[in-house]
Amino acid sequence: MLRPDKGMPAASPRPGGVLEHWTERHLRYLMLAPTMIVLLALTIFPSFYMFYAAVHRISPNPDLPWEFVGSGNFARLLTDAQFHVALRNTAVFTIVAVTFEFLLGLGLALLLDRFIRRLTFLKTVLMIPMMLPPIAVAITWKIIYEPQFGVLNEIMFRLGLPLQAWAGDVNLAMFSIIVADVWQWTPFIFLLMLAGLASLPIEPYEAAALDGASSWRQFWDLTLPFLKPVIAIAVLLRVMDALRLFDLVFILTGGGPADRTKVLSLYIYQVAYRFADPGYAAAISLFVLFVTIVLSTWFMKRMRLAE
Amino acid sequence: MATIRTRSRGSEMLLHLTAYLTILVALILTLFPVYWIAVNSFKYDIDIFAVPPEWLPRNPTLKHYHEAFVQRPFLRYALNSLLVAVGTTIISVGFGTMAGYALARFSYPWQWRKQISFWILSTRMMPPIVSIIPLYLFFNSFDMLNTKSALIIAYTAFNLPFATWMMKSYFQDLPVELEEAAIVDGDTQWGAFLHVALPLARPGLAATAIFCLIISWNEFLLSLIITLTEQSQTLPIGIAGRVTQYKTYWGEISAAGFMACVPIVIFAFIVQKHLVRGLSLGAVKG
Repeated sequence: MLRPDKGMPAASPRPGGVLEHWTERHLRYLMLAPTMIVLLALTIFPSFYMFYAAVHRISPNPDLPWEFVGSGNFARLLTDAQFHVALRNTAVFTIVAVTFEFLLGLGLALLLDRFIRRLTFLKTVLMIPMMLPPIAVAITWKIIYEPQFGVLNEIMFRLGLPLQAWAGDVNLAMFSIIVADVWQWTPFIFLLMLAGLASLPIEPYEAAALDGASSWRQFWDLTLPFLKPVIAIAVLLRVMDALRLFDLVFILTGGGPADRTKVLSLYIYQVAYRFADPGYAAAISLFVLFVTIVLSTWFMKRMRLAE
Repeated sequence: MATIRTRSRGSEMLLHLTAYLTILVALILTLFPVYWIAVNSFKYDIDIFAVPPEWLPRNPTLKHYHEAFVQRPFLRYALNSLLVAVGTTIISVGFGTMAGYALARFSYPWQWRKQISFWILSTRMMPPIVSIIPLYLFFNSFDMLNTKSALIIAYTAFNLPFATWMMKSYFQDLPVELEEAAIVDGDTQWGAFLHVALPLARPGLAATAIFCLIISWNEFLLSLIITLTEQSQTLPIGIAGRVTQYKTYWGEISAAGFMACVPIVIFAFIVQKHLVRGLSLGAVKG
């Protein structure tokens, strides 16, 4: 496969223009260059620009100059109660949603692995939710949660339970968002866990069975350690996605009621556009970027994902 | 698993029963919301509001499709979505394939390969909300707000790392010997890539392209910031625009939402063999 030391054999010398020789000699850089340039322009440049924006007060009027405020916007992070609410909501959503998705997805994979392995069609049907446009998922759940004519309250009514406002209820709004997210993303964990289970070696299990190890012991001592790399990737990707939650909240609750579902992405959006304060929005964005980088680097380094 | 063979027949039957029941319940839970949006799109408004709900439309109608796609500009939104998705996919897969090949095959000084791979992956981890402020200010200063090109540029930032990692993982699975043989036979390195590796990686290329199409088609936040009118607004923006503070146009958004889902479901079946790899950025090979 890869031969990092030798690389590919050098092309045999053959007649050709100077340009062709030069291209061939530097091919490894030339093939990488377009991607590197585009990504540098689209990620590194904006990051610096954002830092520049974050130390200024930017007026909504484009003709007015930016006013330098130094660390002012960052100091506001410490005292801004709305920001703290958004931070807390994002943390709650990420932890609860990803935990449920993980436990459900892993449990389903362990239970169904043997039965569903050859049912490719069925497996793909179960994967549909995570492929759908998040906006379509959001309006679907909006119809289901609708307090007057929604299906969920019909079910509650038939079961003789009290009707709820769901996404419009102060105590149930975050729960409603989490349910919709779990519906959409549990298949993702399920699919990755199935892939992990399919690649398990058989021999250790045979040996364990001979030793009379219980299925519980086998799960803890064999299955879980073998699955660890796949679990790490699945959870990392889910956490990163959960941190950027926007679409569901935008459609289902708009951050309400009483800011109970106001998450960081939504708050940045509101600060930048509704409150017309891009400088402060940039400061919050930098904070989110910092958290994301720290989390993902720690995770990827630990799991050696970049190998 | 080996233990299962030692279980008694009774508990084995119970396990079967539980498993198939779980599959059934999972199927119902998965499909019901999709079914429900489809059914609602074919109902008259009065039937959408019916209590108890109509599980099957008694009076099916295409009224909302007419409203959305003929009277309102949803056809335009869908076309914009398609154009932006195709543009993004061409750039991302084109550049990403070359970079993926380079990272899979060539060696670089100072551990560049590892560092660059890692850096490209971390750009994929960046939350879109983080880049909207600079992108907005940037497009604003170039008078590019509300254009499809701006959307393509913004989407490329998120699709290119994905395409690079996917193609890197597909190229790593190909045996290097065939390319070496071509070079020994007098082909250039570029020729070996173009004539040997690329044709072999065709299934991976197709899967990567379809994933890029899906990611762009589904995107909402960046489009919400960058686009302002139906000239460039995409389908998700059009749908969200019909959920207002005063009124939600249930029939219309159901029709448009269902239509937004149809191509995705078709795509899901086309790439079913590549789902694991695509969804884990090439990290898990399913």
